[in-house]
Amino acid sequence: MTDREEGFGFAPEHDAPIPYMQRIRDYYQALGYGAPYRWAHYAEVPFAPLNKPLAESRIGLVTTAAPYQPGKGDQGPGAPYNAAPKFYTVYSGDSAVDYDLRIAHIAYDRDHTTAEDSNTWFPLPQLRRAAEAGRIGEVAPRFHGAPTNRSHRVTLDQDCPELLSRVRADRVDAVVLAAV
Amino acid sequence: MSLAARHLEANGIPTVVMGCAKDIVEFVGVPRLLFSDFPLGNPAGRPKDPQSQAFTLDLALRVLESAPGPRTTVQSPLRWNEDPAWKLDFSNIARLSPEEIARRRPEFDRQKEIAKTIRDKPQAAE
Repeated sequence: MTDREEGFGFAPEHDAPIPYMQRIRDYYQALGYGAPYRWAHYAEVPFAPLNKPLAESRIGLVTTAAPYQPGKGDQGPGAPYNAAPKFYTVYSGDSAVDYDLRIAHIAYDRDHTTAEDSNTWFPLPQLRRAAEAGRIGEVAPRFHGAPTNRSHRVTLDQDCPELLSRVRADRVDAVVLAAV
Repeated sequence: MSLAARHLEANGIPTVVMGCAKDIVEFVGVPRLLFSDFPLGNPAGRPKDPQSQAFTLDLALRVLESAPGPRTTVQSPLRWNEDPAWKLDFSNIARLSPEEIARRRPEFDRQKEIAKTIRDKPQAAE
């Protein structure tokens, strides 16, 4: 008899956060690729406390989603992985405008979700509501798109400084990053 | 995305990452993470469920304002499904047939080639 059956109320062993790093390493090894992908990894983590109440703060938003690009293949709900709409430079959009952003260029979980509702990866409408409700002071004038680049060098030397420069220009007090 | 959060934070801008890949984001090391134990693609709530989306953003904002220090992870109490079986599927090589594995390699190479073509094309920064 297992502990679960004895009434401890334990959850099944696999009811834990998915070990993505192990899964992805095993997956590409089985597909026949050589050296495993090496994720960025730091022992030290920076920290900047929020110095004023959220209700007085200007909040920025960063996304890895891509604008819908007609003519670049299926980007719709349930579309197979599609590299064609990928982007390799930071882009920005007016936060007051509604955008059609997609995630077909990202390896999201195509077995268990279909990317039919952009609010699950791009919380700009929710952020506007938070501003209307007074939960945050205001939404920053622009949101920014961050490339999903496999080159750490390009991310660190090019994309991160570019993002910093843009959110500084927006005079944000803090930033929400929705990672797909 | 984790690297971007780190860079902004190191330059004095507080950040919170909303994400579904807890191990990867924590391995990189970020100041604040709101972890949703949902299939990749849903860091901001459940599809067609505005209440869950509002709850998720609000929780991220609470992490932003109240984290006591770096590497603060809060796990959303929301569940994708009462049955956790979905967690066994993602990129799980043990669940793929040899035929399926053989089919995926050329498709992956094809997509990589497409990505490379886009990357190598000069783009104007917007």
